[in-house]
Amino acid sequence: MRSVTDLAGDLRATVGIGGATGPAGEEALSAQGRLAALVVAAVLAAFAPIAQAFEPFWLNLLTRMLVFALLALSLDFVFGYAGLLSFGHAAMFGAGGYAAAILVREVTSNALVVLPLAALSGVVVAGFIGWFSVRAKGIYFAMLTLAFAQMFYVIVFTDLPARLLGAEAITGGDDGLFGIPLYEAVGIDFTSRLLYFYLALVLVMLSFALLVRVANSPFGRTLQGIRENEERMRFLGYNVRRYKLVAFSISGGFAGLAGGLYVPFQSVAQPGLLHWTISGELVVMLLLGGMGTLWGPMLGGAFVIYLEERLAEFATWEIILGSVFVIVVIFAPQGLAGTIVSIRNDPRNALHNANRALRNYIEKVRG
Amino acid sequence: MIESLLRATLLGLQLGVTLALVATGLTLIFGMMDVINFAHGALYMFGAYFGLLVADALGSFWLALVIAPLIVGAIGAAIEIFSLRPLYGRNPLYHILLTFGLAIMVQGIVVQVWGARSRRIPAPELLAGSVSVGPVTYPVYWLFVLVLSTVLIAAVWVAIERSDLGILMRASAHDTEMVDALGIDVKTVFTGVFVFGSVLAAVAGVLLGASRSVHPGMGFGVIIEAFVIVVIGGLGSFKGAIYAALLIGLVIAYGALIAPALTDLFIFALMATVLVIKPSGLFGTTEAA
Repeated sequence: MRSVTDLAGDLRATVGIGGATGPAGEEALSAQGRLAALVVAAVLAAFAPIAQAFEPFWLNLLTRMLVFALLALSLDFVFGYAGLLSFGHAAMFGAGGYAAAILVREVTSNALVVLPLAALSGVVVAGFIGWFSVRAKGIYFAMLTLAFAQMFYVIVFTDLPARLLGAEAITGGDDGLFGIPLYEAVGIDFTSRLLYFYLALVLVMLSFALLVRVANSPFGRTLQGIRENEERMRFLGYNVRRYKLVAFSISGGFAGLAGGLYVPFQSVAQPGLLHWTISGELVVMLLLGGMGTLWGPMLGGAFVIYLEERLAEFATWEIILGSVFVIVVIFAPQGLAGTIVSIRNDPRNALHNANRALRNYIEKVRG
Repeated sequence: MIESLLRATLLGLQLGVTLALVATGLTLIFGMMDVINFAHGALYMFGAYFGLLVADALGSFWLALVIAPLIVGAIGAAIEIFSLRPLYGRNPLYHILLTFGLAIMVQGIVVQVWGARSRRIPAPELLAGSVSVGPVTYPVYWLFVLVLSTVLIAAVWVAIERSDLGILMRASAHDTEMVDALGIDVKTVFTGVFVFGSVLAAVAGVLLGASRSVHPGMGFGVIIEAFVIVVIGGLGSFKGAIYAALLIGLVIAYGALIAPALTDLFIFALMATVLVIKPSGLFGTTEAA
């Protein structure tokens, strides 16, 4: 059996996106990529007031897309970049979300206080899960993260803290917590959807910049080294487990931040945030977007949320969404990032390539 | 006290051995193709719903128990040939995406065709009522599920350990390329194993569909139980899956006695404990730590 870490490496090799991925030592995100990210942010910022004026619903959707882009980014840092397949990121997302819900309701709605604490609770939960999980490798690591994340789900779902402490409700059990007010900070009231969108946009861009920075730091290089060849890094004297744990905790912090952004925006925190299907969807977002690129999964996350929203009006939306996953994985295995790069590099042959993929498929089915 | 404990033991064994039917397919498919099959729960669910369909249309539980698994076997063959086969040789990570997509699709199809409400397959009249097992009165149907599942699992065990086909299956799992080089059509073996797993899952779906409820969330529910079993037993290990299934069945049954709301917590705590102590699972052979 091959380990998932090898697989992550393979996947990058098949994707072959220059600049953004490549072998250890290359810069995460080229200068061109930075420019593109800035342009996207600027376009989103300019588009928001227009959306607000004509179709406020769009603003809602965009904010949710941003939150999930951040969540997918956090997973990509630890999976695509450090090679650790986490199947439990929903736990950190939920931890941040519930921390924000409780703090905003009970203590303060100051975003400068609540959001860092939401991120911190993500770090703490990730630290806990990671401490046990980094002992195992590959798919076993994935299963350990899944097990611990599901334990958190059950704890929240049954409101175990309230049972143990004799309180009436802490996580609110099955129903969750609702009526959570929006943030305010430095005199700004984020109850306006437009301002909340800007808050999310700024935080997502900052997180992206920060993670790219970390990825390019000596710490990031070491993680890449561990992903490519763990044994060698251990022989070189690196404490591999500690590096993995720190990477996992950092990632958990960003997932917690995403949760902290999401819950007041939705005004509810429910156990569904921590359910494993969210972790599963995240992996789908990564693969759809193109893992290991940091930016690809952000696109993947936004794309999946967009699809779900657009399809929700159809009774058959699950069938359509499922079919999209299936078709993408069979015909466009490099994900959105790979497809974009391939079309950019070779626009004329796009049609020819599609044709070839189809012939290839038929050949393989025939065996 | 003794009575409820005994009852829970019987129930746990029954649940465990039926879950073993689901987990067997999952672990065989993983061992052979490295495919993490998220759609396995969907096949189990299809088994229950087609069982419901046949039982409604023909009025016979027994026909449902035979026909539904055959239908699901055919669906399994189609899934393997048209979606998994083109991906062999590619990164197994893609299977997560693919089978996750398939599972979502099936859930959508089930809601579309049968609606979201919860139902139950009518158990056959022949098996109505209860019998006394020692000091415990126990439903006859549950006893039937226990016996039938045990017989099936034993048959599968013998088939895998003793028959030529079982040897071929294990060999293909162990070294695909070598078996292929020996002139054996590995692709057909893969399809066969996938169909076999689908049929077993569907049988479990029909059996449990008459004692647990049949609803669109059951696929995603059982897949997690089955994953836990397969991971505790050791990925790809058939023997491990069976022991782990019995263990999990008992944990669920005893857990329901102690703290019904927290059974899931016990299951995951057990899985976490096993993996922390022995990362490759009880019978796992692959190096994991």
